[in-house]
Amino acid sequence: MKNLNRYGYAFIAPFWIIFLIFNIYPVALTFYYSFTNYSGSGTAEVVGFANYQRLIADSYFVEAFFNTWKIWGVNFALQIVIALILAMIFSDARVKMKGLSFFRSIFYLPNLITVSSVALLFGILLDWQHGSLNMVLMNIGIISEPINWLNQPTTAQLSVSLILTWMWFGHSFIVVMAGVSGISTDFYEAALIDGANRWQTFTKITLPLLKPILLYIMITSLIGGLQLFDLPMLLTDGIGSPDGSLNTMVLYLYNQAFKYNNYGYAAAVAYGLFIITVIFSAIVFKSMYGNERKQARRV
Amino acid sequence: MKKVIGLMMSLVLLFGVLAGCSNSESSGEAKGDKDVDLKVWSFTDELKKPITKFEEKNGVKVELTIVPIADYPTKLKPVLESGVGAPDVFTGEIAFLKQWVNAGYWENLSEDPYNANEISDNYVPYVFDLGKDENGDVRALSWQTTPGGIYYKRSIAKEVLGTDDPAEIGEMLTSMDKVFEVSEKMKEKGYRMFPDEGSIRWFSQGDDPQAWVNEKDELKLTDQKIEFLDYAKKLREESYTALAPEWSPSWFEAMDKPIKVKESGKETETEVFSYVLPTWGLHSVLKTNVEDSVGDWAVTSGPSPYFWGGTWLGVYNKSENKELAYDFVKMMTQDDEFLTDWAKETGDVLSYLPVTNEIKGDFSDEFLGGQNNYQFFLEQAKSIEPGIVTKYDQQLDTFYGNAVQEYVDGKKSKDEAIAEFYKKAQNAYPELKVPKK
Repeated sequence: MKNLNRYGYAFIAPFWIIFLIFNIYPVALTFYYSFTNYSGSGTAEVVGFANYQRLIADSYFVEAFFNTWKIWGVNFALQIVIALILAMIFSDARVKMKGLSFFRSIFYLPNLITVSSVALLFGILLDWQHGSLNMVLMNIGIISEPINWLNQPTTAQLSVSLILTWMWFGHSFIVVMAGVSGISTDFYEAALIDGANRWQTFTKITLPLLKPILLYIMITSLIGGLQLFDLPMLLTDGIGSPDGSLNTMVLYLYNQAFKYNNYGYAAAVAYGLFIITVIFSAIVFKSMYGNERKQARRV
Repeated sequence: MKKVIGLMMSLVLLFGVLAGCSNSESSGEAKGDKDVDLKVWSFTDELKKPITKFEEKNGVKVELTIVPIADYPTKLKPVLESGVGAPDVFTGEIAFLKQWVNAGYWENLSEDPYNANEISDNYVPYVFDLGKDENGDVRALSWQTTPGGIYYKRSIAKEVLGTDDPAEIGEMLTSMDKVFEVSEKMKEKGYRMFPDEGSIRWFSQGDDPQAWVNEKDELKLTDQKIEFLDYAKKLREESYTALAPEWSPSWFEAMDKPIKVKESGKETETEVFSYVLPTWGLHSVLKTNVEDSVGDWAVTSGPSPYFWGGTWLGVYNKSENKELAYDFVKMMTQDDEFLTDWAKETGDVLSYLPVTNEIKGDFSDEFLGGQNNYQFFLEQAKSIEPGIVTKYDQQLDTFYGNAVQEYVDGKKSKDEAIAEFYKKAQNAYPELKVPKK
């Protein structure tokens, strides 16, 4: 029996070795650095909680926190609504839409383009004086002055949100569709016979049964969204212009570490970000499953 | 059928992604090659040809790793810190040069057997001085000098100013007030002086250039730099620019063609008169983007001398092959024969005076209508102040550029813009003493 045990450890060893070297070690080292004034070269001096004290009082970090939420929030709301509407259309027994796999690929395509290409593309489309978007809007007569999309805080944040929606709604759609096809058609047939309309079918059958899937999308999107970095970095000057509105938490972390060489403080920012992610994931999880447990107890 | 199309599309994209991966992998593999005698890291492909020549001359194999400038410091730093897979020779750009000469990654070239101090007279002074660390020891050398000027279109100059002679035009631009006079003339004839407001930032130092940060770690915002806020605002308000931000597609387009400017509800077509660019701007910016107006350009001096960019190189202090490494540095910076060919081939303005003195007389560039830009730039290089470069410059310039932009756009008042600049500077560099406002 003992031998068998040893084999077991041998089989899980590769994972653990790699996990320890490439995940646990850097995480632990970052934790150590967050208590030092390490500048990327030379020696690190332990400074206690100074970095965390600075983090709590840092108006740029607070700004980055709210920016990240605004950008992610708008993007997530739009993305999930679009995904649900599309899923409703494609799963409707009465409409019988064809070409699901074709549209699935089409919707997913933006996600396959590298973010740097996307940023370059939208940088040109949204250009102030010569961008296609402004030209189209001016020709239709909606606006008379070109809008400097990426130079005003609100429009810049909105632009990033919409680009993210464009990139990710296909992904959400695929996951939602997978969830929908997991719902037995018996429910829909029964609803049809009972004379339920589309809206009733959707709110009373589809949505409740999709809850675990929606929770999954929300948590993964939240974790990804709180790490928002590449688009804001590439769309403007990389330090969050205009007016700090594209300064996200990870962008701030990156700039503190690699541009300003404050590695110690950047490590503290990383742990701040980690704590925030844990708290919000827990809140989302609680709010979606907490009620259910209470109801189950009541029954 | 549709399934097949969908599948094909995903496959095409997937292969695109994979192809991208395999490329970078194969270049990574070369690193493990044991036959390599010398490893060089740089951020452009500029060194490719010199390396081929060096290989032929010495019968060695050199491997060049090119890392795009945006990632260069981030990728190089850990390699230098650990010494694993590190280059024997690596280049440094002006933006992080000051930080690196003091970090001790580069071998001290003032010591035996290099004795670089003995050849100091052979170089343009500011270029040689910038390669020194805080103790005055030479850490890096450079083959080039990168003073700047104002490139303008001869045809427009003739039409508006009555002459296209660089010396005469330079006379008309010796102060910011005079620049505005010329701008006004340009505007009357339907032209724009500069592509954008940032163009004049190089002249913001005025006649009394000061470092951003002094020896006592105090951040200094000089009166000249504050005045620059007003100059930039005036350019915008008087419509002296074509609203084409630097490096944007429209900025490039305006070099060769008339462009459309939309302001106060109407669209006007205009041409840009001049671009403020340094030596390399001619070869890697103007020449690569201009087709129709070749030969219609010239270069002259602005209100104050400036330099922009520049590449230095040195020997890694933990290299196991320092002798060969320094041979390469020597070829790049002190080899008369090689540098003469290099200058003639690329038009690069060298900082190595024995060669420049030899060749500057009969240089002429067809792109600039036959003007001898070599002599012009060497003259400019003489009046450049080396002591004002600090390791903070790149970030502080960006922060101040943002402050100026927000003031020009009317989003912030002057005091607010300056206060925001101080706040950002303090946040990025807690060690600085920033004036309280």
